[in-house]
Amino acid sequence: MTITAADWQALWLTLKLAGLTTLLLFVIGVPLAWQLSQWQSRWRHGIEVLITLPLVLPPTVLGFYLLLLFSPNFAPGQWLSQLFGGPLVFSFTGLVFASVIYSLPFMVQPLLAAFHANGQRLTHAAAALGIPPWVALWKVLLPASRAAIVSACALTFAHTLGEFGVVLMIGGAIPGETQVVSIALYQHVETMEYGAAHRLALMLMGLTTVLLLVARWLGYVLAPRSSNAAPARPVVGVLG
Amino acid sequence: MEITLSLFGTATTVSDSTGLSVEGLVTSFNAATPWQLSLPASGVFGLTGPSGSGKSTLLAALAGQRRCRGKISFANTVWQCGRRALSTHKRALSLGFQDSCLFAGQSVADNLALARRYSRRPVPGEECDQLLKAFGIAPLLHQPVELLSGGEAQRVALLRQLFHNAPLQLFDEPLSAVQRTQVLRCLLPTLRDFWARYPALVIWTSHDFDEIQLLAQRCLWMDAADLSAPLTLPEVARHLDTQGVGDSCRSRIEARVESLQESLLTLDLGGIALYADRVAGHYRKGDTAAFLLEAGDISLSAERPGLSSMLNCLPVMLAAKLHLADGRIRLQLTAAGQVLYADISRLSCERLQLRDGATYFAQFKAGSLAGL
Repeated sequence: MTITAADWQALWLTLKLAGLTTLLLFVIGVPLAWQLSQWQSRWRHGIEVLITLPLVLPPTVLGFYLLLLFSPNFAPGQWLSQLFGGPLVFSFTGLVFASVIYSLPFMVQPLLAAFHANGQRLTHAAAALGIPPWVALWKVLLPASRAAIVSACALTFAHTLGEFGVVLMIGGAIPGETQVVSIALYQHVETMEYGAAHRLALMLMGLTTVLLLVARWLGYVLAPRSSNAAPARPVVGVLG
Repeated sequence: MEITLSLFGTATTVSDSTGLSVEGLVTSFNAATPWQLSLPASGVFGLTGPSGSGKSTLLAALAGQRRCRGKISFANTVWQCGRRALSTHKRALSLGFQDSCLFAGQSVADNLALARRYSRRPVPGEECDQLLKAFGIAPLLHQPVELLSGGEAQRVALLRQLFHNAPLQLFDEPLSAVQRTQVLRCLLPTLRDFWARYPALVIWTSHDFDEIQLLAQRCLWMDAADLSAPLTLPEVARHLDTQGVGDSCRSRIEARVESLQESLLTLDLGGIALYADRVAGHYRKGDTAAFLLEAGDISLSAERPGLSSMLNCLPVMLAAKLHLADGRIRLQLTAAGQVLYADISRLSCERLQLRDGATYFAQFKAGSLAGL
C-alpha cells in the first residue's frame, strides 16, 4: 500500500491548515467567548447567533459569500489582496481565513458553555481578591475550563481536517497550495482511483481516531486526581 | 478631618473619615430602606440577622458585585457615587463566599499563592506557614481543590482571604461547614490573633452568634433589609432572643492574661485566677482574652469546695432564676461585673435553696473555656 507524494503533500497541507486554524481560533475564541459570557446586553444573543451560523449553514453558502468577499472585482477583495500581498481566492491564506470563520463555533461554543457555567462566579471571586479581569481570565478561568479548552481545540482541529465545501468553493485543488486531503480524496473518486481513495480515507480516519483518543486521554489527565504521592516541598517555596 | 454624616436620621459628626462610610445605599433588595453605615478603619464587626434579611446583598453591594445606587467610600477613596462605581478589583477589599469559590483546576497552594500575589500588603512567609499549620491546611497544599471536603474548602477559602490581607475584609458565613470544635478551639483564636497583629476592618457575617461573640466587640443587625448601627453584643443577643433563634446558654467572658505555662493559660478575672488548658493564640501578659463558657459545664456549690480536679472556682452572685421548658433552671450569675449563665436541675436548685443576691461558688474545668 503506497501513498503518492501528492497525497503526502495534501496530508501535510491539511495538518498545517488545521493546526494554524486551531491556533488562530484559540487566540480569537478565548477572549471572544469570555467577553460574550460577561456581556449583559441583548446584542449578545445576536452575536451568538452570528457565530453559530456556520454550524447550520451548508458550507457552500459560506464558501459562496467568501468567494464574493475575496473577489478582486469588489472593494473588500481588493483591500484584502493588498493586505495579504495577493488575491485570497485559490490561496492557502484564503483557506486559513475561511477555515477560521467556518470553524469559529466549534471553538467558541464549548468555551462559552464552560464560561457560562462558572465564569461569573470565578471572576467575581478573583475580583474580590484584587485580581484584575484579564489576569482572572488567564490565571483563574482558563485553568478551571481546561477540559472545555481541550474539547474546543480537538473539535476545531478535527472539523478543519474534514473541511470540504468551503475549500472547494474558494480554494480549488492546487497541489501544495489548496489541495487538502478531502479534495484529493474527492478527485481520486472522480477519476475512479479507488485504491488511492481508500488509502487517503483510511489515513484520515486513523488520524481523526487517534486525535479523539488523545483528546480523551488529555481529558483524563487534566481531571483532578488524588495526589498522595506529591513530593513534600517547603511551604514558603510553594507559595513563592 | 471631620465629616458629617446623616446616620439614621440624625446628623452625626464622625472624626474618623478613613473608615467605611455608606450613605443611602439602595439595591433592588432594599429599595424602601436605604442603608447607612459608618465604621472605623479597623476592628472586627459581626453581621447577623434572620435568613433572607439582606446580609449577603449588603456585602455584594459593598464589593461592587451587586448593582446599587448611593455612596460608598473607604479610606478616603470613593468607591461608589450614585450609579458610578469602581470595579471590584480596584477596591481595597476582599470578599469571601459561603460556597468557598475556590479556583478550580488548581491546587490549594496555587489558590493561596494567587491571593497573596495580588495582595496590597502581603503577609510574611513565616506568618503564612503558621497560619497553614493552625488551619490544618499544610498536608492539603498539593491537593487539587476539587478533592477537598466542604469544611476543608471553607478553611482554604478563609485562609486565602487572610493571605490577601485586604484593609477591608468581608466574610459571608465562612465557617458554616467547618467542625464546631475546630472552629472554637483553633480557628477563631487564630483569627483574633491575626487581626490583632494585622489590623483591618472586618465584617464577619454569621448565623452562629458564638463566632461573633468570640471575634467581635460590636455587631450589625439586619432584619428585613433594615440595617442597624453597630450594637453591643448583649443588644444583639436580645434581638436573637426576640426572634426565637437565640442560644444564650453560653456566656461570653473577658479576662486578663496572666501567664502561659505548659499549655495552661492563667487568666485574671477581677482578682480571681482562671485556668484554660487549650491555647491556640499567641497571648501576651496583659492581653484581654474573650472566651465562651457553656451553661451546662458549670456546677454550683453553696460553700467553697475543697481540693478538686476542677481547676476553676469562681465566687458568683445569683442575679436571677429562669425556669426552662425542659424542667431545668437557668441561673444568671455575676462575677467581677460579668454575666454567667449556669443550667442546673430543679432538684439541685431545691437542695441548694438558692436565693437571689446570695454568693455561691461556680466550678468548671479548665477544658470548658472555649475560644482560647
